[in-house]
Amino acid sequence: MSQQATHALPRPWLAGLREAIPLLGGYVPVAISFGLIAIQAGFSTWEAVIISTLVYAGASQFLFVGMVAAGAPLWLVVVMTLLINARHVVYAPNLAPWLTTSRWWPWLMHGLTDQVFALAHSRLPQLPASQRLGWFTGAALLAWASWIGGTALGAVAGEELITRWPLLGEVMPFALPALFLVLVAPRFTSRRWSLALGSAIAIAALLTVNGLTNAAIPLAAACGALCFYLVKFDVTTRGERDE
Amino acid sequence: MSSALWLAVLASAAGTLLMRLLPLLWMQRRLQKSASEDGLEAMPQWLGILGPLMIAAVLGVSLVPATTDASSWLATAIGVLVTLLVWWRLRSLGWPVAAGVAAYGVVVTLLG
Repeated sequence: MSQQATHALPRPWLAGLREAIPLLGGYVPVAISFGLIAIQAGFSTWEAVIISTLVYAGASQFLFVGMVAAGAPLWLVVVMTLLINARHVVYAPNLAPWLTTSRWWPWLMHGLTDQVFALAHSRLPQLPASQRLGWFTGAALLAWASWIGGTALGAVAGEELITRWPLLGEVMPFALPALFLVLVAPRFTSRRWSLALGSAIAIAALLTVNGLTNAAIPLAAACGALCFYLVKFDVTTRGERDE
Repeated sequence: MSSALWLAVLASAAGTLLMRLLPLLWMQRRLQKSASEDGLEAMPQWLGILGPLMIAAVLGVSLVPATTDASSWLATAIGVLVTLLVWWRLRSLGWPVAAGVAAYGVVVTLLG
């Protein structure tokens, strides 16, 4: 899983699968929780699985079943779901320079979650153009399958699983921050970038601690961007450029 | 589920897919129109800056433990340190994550 150089992989889809494995640590426990909560909210196992398959966006799915269970108007449920997912609009354009001309790419965007974007944004530029479609397909399909499988597991046996292995559900989700840390760390290339990235991390954590998880990502990224544009240093470290 | 609820699921799914897909089509058209050979040059600067910052924000959100007591924060801090140390030495993707999760798990087990 070396990140250091552009190199040809013998089977890019398999490399994509392998490199997406850390995502499972976060996806499966959360998907199990979603399956369980959907059942408790009155949805059937199949309905929960279909929501995970079609909507495939963690936070908004929890909001969807919660608002439906609370009897909220359905138009408002849809609007709130889409509002939470609005941050996704900046993901695909950031990957576009590295995508090939294959007509499969638009359909693969269904798998472009926060986590898959973070992984792809770091890895696609390091891969030869011919291998990017295979790599992304492997990574995105594994993440999608784990979300759907976790939902089914949670709907069928979520309560028993959480009772029997409470520690596993507590420990495995740390795979997500650990993975993001590894993806973000190489981007601390200058004082300007370090300040912008550090601000975004700190503000997102602060907003989440204060219960504003859904607004945290776009707000923190916007604050980080503001830092980037407002603060300029005369000398950058390691001779790296600022932009 | 009622028909209305199915429609709400489908509308949410279609809307989410379009928010992931349409910006790609817009950017691909922009790249095709651009005379520059370097695709990165065709990307608006703010968009290129926002990408890494969105990942940083996702990191910030995911760093907050589900239960925000002192032991969970300590486990998170140690997990972060171990992940960074292993990344610093190996510069790879898999081992730092495995080491970070293991360190986090050990601290949670010891303090739990």
